[in-house]
Amino acid sequence: MRYLPRAAALAAILVTPALTSAPVQPSTYTYRGTVHTVQPRAGSLELITGVGFALRLVQMRAVAATRIEKAGVAIALADLKPGDIVRADCRRTSLGLVADRIIEIDGTAAR
Amino acid sequence: MTRAAVAVAGLVALVAAGCEKPLKPGDPVRGLTAAQRDRFTRGKVVFDSAFTPQTGLGPLFNSTVCGECHEDPAKGGFGDEVEVHAAAFRGGVCDPLVQEGGFVIQQHTIPALKQALGIDSEPFPPSATGRAMRTTPVLFGRGLLDLVPDSVILSYADPDDRNHDGIRGRPNRAVDGRLGRFGRKAFIATLDEFNAGAFVAEMGITDPAQPTEENIGGRPIPAGVDSVPDPEITQEQLDLTNDFVRFLAPPTPARLDATGRRGRELFSQIGCAACHIPTLRTGDSPVAALRHREFAAYTDLLLHDMGPDLADICLGRATPSQFRTEPLIDLRDAQRFLHDGRATTPEQAIEAHGGEAAGARDRFKALPPADRAALTAFLKSL
Repeated sequence: MRYLPRAAALAAILVTPALTSAPVQPSTYTYRGTVHTVQPRAGSLELITGVGFALRLVQMRAVAATRIEKAGVAIALADLKPGDIVRADCRRTSLGLVADRIIEIDGTAAR
Repeated sequence: MTRAAVAVAGLVALVAAGCEKPLKPGDPVRGLTAAQRDRFTRGKVVFDSAFTPQTGLGPLFNSTVCGECHEDPAKGGFGDEVEVHAAAFRGGVCDPLVQEGGFVIQQHTIPALKQALGIDSEPFPPSATGRAMRTTPVLFGRGLLDLVPDSVILSYADPDDRNHDGIRGRPNRAVDGRLGRFGRKAFIATLDEFNAGAFVAEMGITDPAQPTEENIGGRPIPAGVDSVPDPEITQEQLDLTNDFVRFLAPPTPARLDATGRRGRELFSQIGCAACHIPTLRTGDSPVAALRHREFAAYTDLLLHDMGPDLADICLGRATPSQFRTEPLIDLRDAQRFLHDGRATTPEQAIEAHGGEAAGARDRFKALPPADRAALTAFLKSL
């Protein structure tokens, strides 16, 4: 036990540079993609994103504070359906990605 | 300058244009700067570089090098490979089955993956409602197609057939809603994205635009199978490849004789040109050689219903029977025709057209043999 303070100090010296020099990860993410699945009860949403033929799924959660809208009008998560195109502003939390805002985009006006 | 001098200068310019050496398959577009030509040359090296598991290949892949599939008659050309795509179309909604490894189902595995899972190819998605076979398209002229303004493409759209000609061009959309134009279903918005996605989907080479590997039929990659850090190529390698593909010129169509000219007239008369729009014009570009260029495209880059016999998978907003009008570029070098290569001659390809193209097909079939031959001769001049 008497070695613990010294060990802790050594660990702190060794670990601190690693922590401070670690690359800073962005805390917010914006995804634009096609809704793959929506589970309103679980508050989860899955988007198809990707580049070219290399598609990927992104899973996120919608919480009570998540604002979901279409043409400026608030809608419910349950109003989203597979095939809809959305933009989701998210942040990484201990629960995974949580959406702060989800906007359904009219695909014909998306470019 | 006198009027005579202007006339002489104009004549010289006309003669010079007429004497321009025809562009061959694999040539760069005319008018590139020395720096752009250098990037074209260096990009071709990346395009033709073979990857191995030690340099990032796989774990799943269709090919080890871009130039293995896009090779005939020059780099960027056709290939004899046929790949497999899968998707599920239910209730009018398309699922590209990403959760099961779709929509590109790779046909090869690296040895480490084979050892770990005992598979030679990616498992076909159990939820698929459709399977598609896809031949390798030429890449010539794709840099020009990339620059056709959206407004031009949308001007040809007529989803409600308001002009009652039976042709209903519709735009497809990429996953994020932008207008699609690349791929047999017009699912990809830009050439750079098409290339970046192809590195990953076709060779398992992650890049800065898509730095994550695909799952294996929906399952994570087994530990120890892929030890190369992502991304597996640099931004510069990706940019060079993009420039090589972007600068590939459409080959100059062959000079038409009387038969070919008759064929060209018939192409318009029987309705082929309603979808295969003969010329398109690029918009603005930082590359002068690509800017405001008119070129022989023979496409509207829109989706058309081609009938149930050609139908395979959905993609984005494209239903299984809807396909993008194929650009008719370097047709003279094509050995197989249609999206899946089922046709071995242009005539077979025309006769397989259905849906919105059924009228043009029937008019082609009703032509006298000499006119059919003339139309075919015209197509083989492209």
